Amino acid sequence: MFDHDTLVWVSKSFGLFYLIALSLIVVAYAYWPSNRKTFDRAARAILIDEDKPWE
Amino acid sequence: MFGLHYRLETKAMGLVLAIIGVSSIGGLVEIAPLFTIHQTVEEAPGMRLYTPLEIAGRNIYMREGCYACHSQMIRTLRDEVERYGPYSLAVESKYDHPMLWGSKRTGPDLARIGGKYSDEWHVRHLNNPRDVVPESIMPAYDFLSRTELRKDDLGEHLAALRKVGVPYTDEMIANASSDAYGQAAPDTPYAEGVVKRYGAATNVASFDGKSGELTEMDALVAYLQIVGRLTDAAYKPVASAE
Amino acid sequence: MIGQLTRNERQGALLILIALAILGLAMAAVGRDDPLGGQGALVMVAALAGLFGVISRYYAPEPGPDRVSRYYDEPSKVGIIIAMGWVVFGLFIGDWVAWLLVDPNLTFHAAWSSFGRIRPVHTTSVIFGFGGNALIATSFYVMQRTSRARLPDQLSPLFVLFGYNLFCVLAVAGYMMGITQSKEYAEPEWYADIWLVVVWITYFVIYLRTLARRKEKHIYVANWYYLAFILVVAVLHIVNNLAVPVSFGHARSYSLFSGVQDAMTEWWYGHNAVAFFLTSGFLGMLYYYLPKVAGRPIFSYRMSIINFWGITFFYMWAGSHHLHYTALPQWVQTLGMTFSLMLLVPSWASAGNALLTLNGAWHKVRDDATLRFMMVAAVFYGLATFEGSFMAIRPVNSLSHYTDWTIGHVHAGALGWVAMITFGSIYASVPWLWKRDGMFSPRLVEVHFWLAVAGTVIYVMAMWNSGIVQGLMWRTYNDSGTLAYSFVDSVVAMHPYYIARAIGGLMFLLGSLVGCYNIWLTIRTAPQVAGRTASEFPDAAPIGAPVLQPGE
Repeated sequence: MFDHDTLVWVSKSFGLFYLIALSLIVVAYAYWPSNRKTFDRAARAILIDEDKPWE
Repeated sequence: MFGLHYRLETKAMGLVLAIIGVSSIGGLVEIAPLFTIHQTVEEAPGMRLYTPLEIAGRNIYMREGCYACHSQMIRTLRDEVERYGPYSLAVESKYDHPMLWGSKRTGPDLARIGGKYSDEWHVRHLNNPRDVVPESIMPAYDFLSRTELRKDDLGEHLAALRKVGVPYTDEMIANASSDAYGQAAPDTPYAEGVVKRYGAATNVASFDGKSGELTEMDALVAYLQIVGRLTDAAYKPVASAE
Repeated sequence: MIGQLTRNERQGALLILIALAILGLAMAAVGRDDPLGGQGALVMVAALAGLFGVISRYYAPEPGPDRVSRYYDEPSKVGIIIAMGWVVFGLFIGDWVAWLLVDPNLTFHAAWSSFGRIRPVHTTSVIFGFGGNALIATSFYVMQRTSRARLPDQLSPLFVLFGYNLFCVLAVAGYMMGITQSKEYAEPEWYADIWLVVVWITYFVIYLRTLARRKEKHIYVANWYYLAFILVVAVLHIVNNLAVPVSFGHARSYSLFSGVQDAMTEWWYGHNAVAFFLTSGFLGMLYYYLPKVAGRPIFSYRMSIINFWGITFFYMWAGSHHLHYTALPQWVQTLGMTFSLMLLVPSWASAGNALLTLNGAWHKVRDDATLRFMMVAAVFYGLATFEGSFMAIRPVNSLSHYTDWTIGHVHAGALGWVAMITFGSIYASVPWLWKRDGMFSPRLVEVHFWLAVAGTVIYVMAMWNSGIVQGLMWRTYNDSGTLAYSFVDSVVAMHPYYIARAIGGLMFLLGSLVGCYNIWLTIRTAPQVAGRTASEFPDAAPIGAPVLQPGE
């Protein structure tokens, strides 16, 4: 199957690139301008207390 | 009731897939290479197998939760090596399903306990630890001496272990129950069978000092006496933890 | 409870319970020579008790079609009561275990009560019994409110709740009977593990079905955390528990993994159980109940999203810090240590986000012990995650590992973070769920709060001291270059700390008893209120009003 050294090499290099790529995607999503309204709304929406489902 | 007739819209499923994807990477990267580790770790030729009695004892060790207070993993630190003995190697626990490395030392490490004390010491200690170590806070396991060991199903235990990779032979599985009896009954024909199947170094002894009935005490002491002694790889100077 | 089920659902419940009773009978029959038989009998008794409950209310009037205009809160109510039962039981056993280390004769020479058997009873009862039920109860509550949608049906949430508790009871009873696979925090054997998978998949499906019915377009971040908890715990549970049973008539199984692979799998599981059970799930709780009780939106919603992915990603790498200096390859140890250090960033950002949310509500924190429980939880979360990252550093770990320091760290997290956020959320939920004005006695909430804080501080301080003393004694050399202390010297030195720890634990137990009493009084005697309105949250700005986010 796989050679142990290859597997270790993939683990060590791939892990790093993956980490950087993921951080970029997450930060981009969180700070994407058009998402701002959604997030503000979501943060406040839970404070409205009607206690029944919306129709 | 479990029907997925609702349209699972893409957003929720996207979130699910993202969580699985993101979270699984770390585990894959760290665990996957360990399954090829045998290519780099030194083999231990001539490594012994646990006998049926020792397997039964190991199961009692697990049942009583001994691992909650006793580790079986000597780290590569000077004080640990001086206190307990040569540090533990990966190969030493390759037949341990599951491993019993432990995570806490309320009591001392047991990785090199095998052969350190006599059978009689272990029996007295397990019956009431404070008889031999007055300051000990270990519970008394006197009920083990009074409990007969179940041995009719040991063949099934060995067969299950073979399924997960421990190389027991058909002969070992077929004779498991009588081998368990024989190991604690020196001077009987059954004892010869154990030695024949598991090697001359097998501990054959009347562990709890009483002949006749095979007790859980016999099994646990037999196990404690083999811990760390399946192979002598750790005592060889070239052994490396890396 | 049964009265809220439709006729079809009552029939469904009967079918499930009959099937379960037959399964229990089969287990009792094939496992009659093994402890499995006892577990089968337990399953059968539980199923018969359930059958009796359903049949006795079978002809009760069905709920009307107007039920869909209300949230379905029965499972949350029952879940909270069960959680409080588990916490009292689990803490009682925990304190008994603590006294066993003071006087080992307190086992009374029985097999079932020895340290090694009842320690997992304690850990399973508090983590899975208390924590799990609290998560199930609050997640049902939160997912409905944040989705503005009712649970998809009435039966499956009850199946999840009672099925999960059957798993917990099987586990705890099993340990005392001597059934364990000895994997820490995953001790239950194969049949209980399979049952949990069935329950868990149902739980997951309920979550997805409720989300699919949601009326809010955006999925509120608390649900992300709950969802990660459900999903990742499923993956961890299945992989770590892969095993071959001795036979269908045996409770015992043998793990598929051995040695170093097993150790890495076990601590990959163990550490991520901390991450996704004890952190992710309870952060979900925090992100709903803390803003709600404080009456202020979360300080930075963006930060909660970034932290979510940070925690989800980093934690999975950190498990190997449990295996420093062992036979695990060193690069895996280093990787575990590095990611453990990086984990501090999303962890502290989460704790900071929670505390900053309280900015402007400090008067409420002062006056209301419910909110103070949550504030202290956030503080302990910050403390415990800092300590965790610190202890993951290899040289620190060489001292702390195998000692009571670990026990102290775990309890800073479990008592200080998990239990405090849960008690805060429960004190908030009980009046909402039972439609009361507030808790029966705010003063008793105060009493509980101070008992809990004092108990936690005493416990953690005692274990810091004992752990560090222990670690130092083991590595102290005398002038001639030999080890200065025998192992038993360190055992003797622990005695006063073990007494202090047991007293701290006792205080925490007493606090939770006060909590039970208060909850019971609230449910039994306090008057109904007409209904709550948004005007009770004067600090809440209307939707759409611009709020400055940090980083702008």
